[in-house]
Amino acid sequence: MPNAVLEVTDIRKRFGSTVALDGVSLTVEAGEVFGLLGPNGAGKTTLLSIAAGLTRADSGSVNLFGKPFTRDDREMRHLIGIGTQDLSIYPDLTASENLRFFGKLYGLRGKQLESRVGEMLASVGLTDRANDRAGTFSGGMKRRLNLAVAVVHAPKLLILDEPTTGVDPQSRNHIFEQVKALNAAGLTVIYTSHYMEEVQTLCSRIAVLDNGLLRACDTLPNLLSRLDTTIRVTVTNAPEGFAERLARARGVNRVREEPLPPTPSPKKGGGERIVSLALATSDTPLGSSPPPFLGEGVGGRGSSTFELVVEDIGPVLAKVASECAATGAELASATTTEPTLERVFLHLTGRGLRD
Amino acid sequence: MAVFTLAAKDLRLLLRDPRSAVILLVTPLLLILVLGLALGEGFGEKPDERLRISVVNLDRGLPTQVTFPEKAWSEVVIDDISATQDIRLEIIRDRAEAERLIAKNRRAAVIVFEEDFSEKMHRCSFLSQKDSVNPFGPNGVQLDRLGASLLTDRTQPVSASIIEQVTQVTLLRVVIPWMIGKAFARVGDAQFMEMVAERLKTAKPIPPEVLQELDPVVQRLLITLTNDTEFQLLVGVEFGATNLFDAKKRDAGIADALVIAKRKAEFQRAVHKAFQNRAIMTRVGKEIAFGEVLTPSVQKKVGPTVKEGVGDLFSNYNFESTRWTDLVKTDARAANTANRVEYKDTVGSGVLNRGALRYQILVPSYTVMFSFFLVLSVGWLFVAERKHGTLVRLRAAPLTRGQILMGKMLPCLVVSLLQGVFLLAAGRLLFGMTWGSRPELLLPLVASTSFAAVGLAVLVASVARTETQVAVYGTLLVLVLGGVSGSLMPRDLMPEQMKTVSLVTPHAWALDAYNQLLATPTPDVSTVLTACGALCTFGAAFTVIAWWRMDLE
Repeated sequence: MPNAVLEVTDIRKRFGSTVALDGVSLTVEAGEVFGLLGPNGAGKTTLLSIAAGLTRADSGSVNLFGKPFTRDDREMRHLIGIGTQDLSIYPDLTASENLRFFGKLYGLRGKQLESRVGEMLASVGLTDRANDRAGTFSGGMKRRLNLAVAVVHAPKLLILDEPTTGVDPQSRNHIFEQVKALNAAGLTVIYTSHYMEEVQTLCSRIAVLDNGLLRACDTLPNLLSRLDTTIRVTVTNAPEGFAERLARARGVNRVREEPLPPTPSPKKGGGERIVSLALATSDTPLGSSPPPFLGEGVGGRGSSTFELVVEDIGPVLAKVASECAATGAELASATTTEPTLERVFLHLTGRGLRD
Repeated sequence: MAVFTLAAKDLRLLLRDPRSAVILLVTPLLLILVLGLALGEGFGEKPDERLRISVVNLDRGLPTQVTFPEKAWSEVVIDDISATQDIRLEIIRDRAEAERLIAKNRRAAVIVFEEDFSEKMHRCSFLSQKDSVNPFGPNGVQLDRLGASLLTDRTQPVSASIIEQVTQVTLLRVVIPWMIGKAFARVGDAQFMEMVAERLKTAKPIPPEVLQELDPVVQRLLITLTNDTEFQLLVGVEFGATNLFDAKKRDAGIADALVIAKRKAEFQRAVHKAFQNRAIMTRVGKEIAFGEVLTPSVQKKVGPTVKEGVGDLFSNYNFESTRWTDLVKTDARAANTANRVEYKDTVGSGVLNRGALRYQILVPSYTVMFSFFLVLSVGWLFVAERKHGTLVRLRAAPLTRGQILMGKMLPCLVVSLLQGVFLLAAGRLLFGMTWGSRPELLLPLVASTSFAAVGLAVLVASVARTETQVAVYGTLLVLVLGGVSGSLMPRDLMPEQMKTVSLVTPHAWALDAYNQLLATPTPDVSTVLTACGALCTFGAAFTVIAWWRMDLE
């Protein structure tokens, strides 16, 4: 793959009896922001450590910019920048001293170094605090400096391991913007985070890692397409063949009838909505009982529940309402479920990201 | 280059760490200061129960033509003192220093040999000469007559009295044989016998009984003489018995000579009777004096005989000798130069007791011990690298493991060297410590000690994972090693066996070398260099183990 910045193939790593990575293969392409998702202990940090040359894999290979990259390869490390999960700066050095030190480690000298230090300070908004010790900074400022230190030597690949953990919203936005700017400038980024929305917003491709296995690696739309969009409607006095009528509607892929509507049970994750004929309440808490104005019959005797797998919710929901009106059935409630990254993650790993 | 970048960063961090400054620089200085003020004069010296005799020697000595003694009389006295068991001799530079010591009650008494001591000693004599000195008084030797004095501290009368008695005995041991020997040399010599003869010449008349006592001698002389054939010939010649030209006279002479020959027995009896006759002897005695008997030849014979006779009479002594051991015929008392030391001001001056001997011990001891407290600073440096997550960045950077470790060790070595130099300089400037006669050798010693300390520090850093572990392991290690090696007490006070055992610590080697350089007038360079070699070996061994153990992941 000519555009591959990073290509890991069949990486395996054990720590004692624990399998950290079990044959992981993935590719990060040039210019993309690549998201890496996985619950704690999934093997994300181990994979990133191997990719960054910090840890030796038991087997498998890592190619960096098309060349084999091992832990002993010092020269290719110039191509990588690391934004660690924990802060990695010297609190007793000033912001500029931190940047200057790490810049020198990567071979920057003289005017080039000073210019780069100045650029980095400006880009993370720390120019005014350049000569203050990092230990006196707020958490967000430290995170920003941490990011600046990671890219002071102008790497080609930036590995960011949960860079916004414990950061205030203002600094988080700052980091976000910085990552976007770096990416826009051509830097390839591997980004891990506990925040789905961050990954969803930033990353063009996402890999899901769980128990050392790569569960999925694709673009966001492709990942979302792995789950169905459904409408569950509860109808009273539905006539015979009502399900078949619904199934014939455009945009409906299939319909399944449940004779008695199930008692709503608490669920996690977003994407579900209960909709009534008269009122669509997107903020109704998930799994709550049907509203009282729907009458006694709702969820009671004579009710039928139909689950429709659809392509698009809006048109199909309108068709359901018209079918009810045409057959004299009463639409008691409608619940819609759309695929989200969190649901994809749950679907793939069987557990939430922060479990 | 990356090593120096790392080293510069760590050096900056170390210099900004107030803990390091306190531990490595302030604490040892404070301890030296407190102990320097608290400890007594004798700290660092082996307990010496011997009596100290302090001497100021201003003696000009003797003219070169004098053959005995071969050195100044004060040196003879000093040698005698130094040869005395259980006495140690201390030479004080000048009178002012001695007076200062007395005034400060630091010496009970000090003997001062004045400039003319040798001259006066040389003039000491039993003989009646116009320039002779009689050194004796009612209490023994009168020091002032000898050109000596004893400075005493009135607050220490007992000690002063003991020293005075030692001085008296020593001076007697020197002056008595000198005077006796000189006097005895005159006994029986020509001048002496002449003087005796002259005196006897005035003894006139000789009492008759003295002449009577000579009768047996006279008788033996007469008998022997008259029986001598040559005498008989002489008599014949004198009587004319040999007159070849006058037969008459010859015959008469032979007859007379025969009379004497035949009647010598009667002649002897007559003489004998004359000697027994008091009246005759009284008359004879009026004509001669005693001194006439002591003719020069007799004097030459009698003088040495008298001397020998006296020698035989006092056969346990040799009155001809001018040295005590010869006089009393005993084994020689060899001067013990090891027993003789130059006075050094070991107490110091001012509030800080600057220049006190104790600082020659305290400064190197605490310099060595606190150089190993580097384990804390280095350990914390490594722990901080892990704690701040920067170790990950270093590992991700284009650096080798060796570069990272070297980058850590270099600044620690620099800090340790600075610490060593700082403490030795402070020792000199603040506490008046001397750098000894070979100060240039302090540099390799400081450097090798630093290398050993850095090696140990990195070794501890390779084991400890947290700040608490560094503090516990480091402090325990440094204190135990300090105690075993003798950093906490003078090594000279340690039992020999323990001294040997303590050489398993780098501290002990460093302290032995410092002792050579700072407390020995002529340091043994090979001892110092051997210690430097041992310290470097320690440093290398620690570093190798640390290198092997260090887990940067």
